Amino acid sequence: MTAAPWTVADRDPSPWETGPVAAYGARDGTLTLYNDYASGRAILWPGPAAGRASELVALWNRRGNAGRLRPVGPSEPVEGYGVFTFPYGPISMGVPESGRFDVRTYGERILEITPTAGFKDRGILAALVGRSVPDATLAIERVAGHLSAAHVSAFLAACESAEGRDVPTTELWVRALAQELQRIYNHVHVIARIAEAASQNVGLAQTHALAEEVLRLQAALFGHRWMFGGLVDGAALRKLGPRERDAAAATLRRLADQFEELWTLFLDSRTFVDRIQATCVVDRETALRWGAVGPTLRASGVPWDDRLRQAVPPYTDLYLELPKESDGDALSRVVVRAEEVRASFLLLEQLLSRWKGEIGGREPAAPPAAPGRGLARVEAPSGDLVYDVTVRDGTIRHVGMRTPSHANWPAFAVGLKGGVFTDFHFAYESFGFSFAETDG
Amino acid sequence: MPSWLGQAARRGLLTSRYPVAPATPAETPESARPPRPSGNSGVPVAAVDACPVRALEPSGVDDGKCIRCSRCLAHGLGYSGPVEASAATRDALVSRGSAPPLPAAKRAPLADFGRSVHVFLVDVGSCNACNLEVLALANPFYDTTRLGIFFTNSPRHADVLLVVGVPTEEMRAPLLRAFEAIPSPKAVVAAGVCPISGGVFAGNAGVLGPLSDVLPVDVFIPGCPPTPVNLIDGLLRAAGRSRPRGGA
Ligand code: SF4
Ligand code: SF4
Repeated sequence: MTAAPWTVADRDPSPWETGPVAAYGARDGTLTLYNDYASGRAILWPGPAAGRASELVALWNRRGNAGRLRPVGPSEPVEGYGVFTFPYGPISMGVPESGRFDVRTYGERILEITPTAGFKDRGILAALVGRSVPDATLAIERVAGHLSAAHVSAFLAACESAEGRDVPTTELWVRALAQELQRIYNHVHVIARIAEAASQNVGLAQTHALAEEVLRLQAALFGHRWMFGGLVDGAALRKLGPRERDAAAATLRRLADQFEELWTLFLDSRTFVDRIQATCVVDRETALRWGAVGPTLRASGVPWDDRLRQAVPPYTDLYLELPKESDGDALSRVVVRAEEVRASFLLLEQLLSRWKGEIGGREPAAPPAAPGRGLARVEAPSGDLVYDVTVRDGTIRHVGMRTPSHANWPAFAVGLKGGVFTDFHFAYESFGFSFAETDG
Repeated sequence: MPSWLGQAARRGLLTSRYPVAPATPAETPESARPPRPSGNSGVPVAAVDACPVRALEPSGVDDGKCIRCSRCLAHGLGYSGPVEASAATRDALVSRGSAPPLPAAKRAPLADFGRSVHVFLVDVGSCNACNLEVLALANPFYDTTRLGIFFTNSPRHADVLLVVGVPTEEMRAPLLRAFEAIPSPKAVVAAGVCPISGGVFAGNAGVLGPLSDVLPVDVFIPGCPPTPVNLIDGLLRAAGRSRPRGGA
């Protein structure tokens, strides 16, 4: 067992203009998780969020009034001569997922932008109630397929904590392996999307090819390009023997070299850098005020990463350095992502070189499951992901979650105020949003 | 000095030869093929019971439901079905025993279309993995422009409506608008089990049901998600173009 990754508060820590920032709040008000960036600790308060923290929690937990659509950013309608609202989406050029952006403008500047989610609401969390943990995991993998490793790892950790199960360290290593591969894929994908928006076509093709090679490696190790089915106990298609491990290490070395070369070329490319420099600035104050997480938070000078803040193996045994950026613009977010690609290659090298013998294929021994509630968080590619699960008799009773997309929409909307339309794609892509995980 | 062209040249020629040559093993991981019972004995009852989405009957496998979760692999099935698993009818996705699915008798919707097709992608409620597999068709490994398959940002320039995800209530109207905007003749392709059967989301609140309840579907591409090679197979079927038999 590892130490609890948060301190339980004995009084409400929420007067947070100066204090800790809300990280998750249960819909029914029974608990609130805070991050205290001053001390680097997380704080759990067994009660509802109050003050400004309650606004954030309400925004994250918002449900549509009529139907399922809901704004996921702050909305303070801007009025003025010639100001009109321009709806962009839900099927829109350049954003391959369905979602809508309501832009208030008088023609060129974005006076206000309100992301509206819910078009892809598949009712996933409500449908989990009554399912077994393994059956629920199949749906959790598909909350956001390109983030499956993070979602499944957080969900399973919450279930294990709820039921008081011990997890073999080897399972945690497999989850870390999957998460770091997926982090590389997602960050590289963000860089590819920005290269595309900047019409940097040769760079796009090369970056796109690198992302494809990561998917192929995931398929070689887990039998599935998106690792679906790969993180459950005793996964049928997991192939992590010594031969596969050595092959994976060799492939990763090659991909890491390719990435270095690509990234140098991007940084030398004016068309690439110019479009994202000073675009959609989220400064430290905005990031904290609106509860931003992940590369968005780290790009504004706040060094918080769940991998370092929670004593969870294997991260406790591995070397990980956080990138330091503080300008808060799209360029900083992309630089943070690129640095994290490097860091993940390094983490994977450490993981694979210390990996002894066979991992995986273990048949789970089923310990008696105690009923209970568990909270778990992991550092997903775009930031802190929290799951809150109640399990009784091996059956899901309730699931709450707050994804990095939820946490970062407000910062995106605030940062883009005053920008021009041509900033939109660069800004949007730099956050690594997923409407799929927002909608659930 | 590194340069973009130097990078590209050192990487060499990456592009797949599919469908001129059968797909390679790297292009077809296990999940690129639907599961089939080994031998001719039909699907064991234990496998039928193990399947979380009721894709299995003693008589065979419904590829349109299978989410490739691998649970039936412990009960006598293996991912040994065809890579070219797309079909022109929903019924043709249901295999009987280890025999291949019934051949589709329907004529390809764009058979008279000449060589190229333009595809408009609509996400009606996906997990995004399907979207990203469609995007992957543009990467140098697959590069579907070599096959005359182009992606367009406007439904008015499209021949094929490629639908990913499970149709939700909120996406019904935008989907119908996109369909109306595409000039005839046009084909609707349902990619992934989400639009075919609802996949893992079937029956959830807010989910409409199969795409074929909303629009006439011309080609069904099973998989969760379909791999790029599976997508190429289905898009070529929609365009009425020849594909190889079998695969590696
Ligand atoms: S792989 Fe899973 S979903 Fe597909 S038939 Fe087997 S048990 Fe059913
Ligand atoms: S078919 Fe599978 S991969 Fe595709 S959107 Fe649905 S759940 Fe995701």
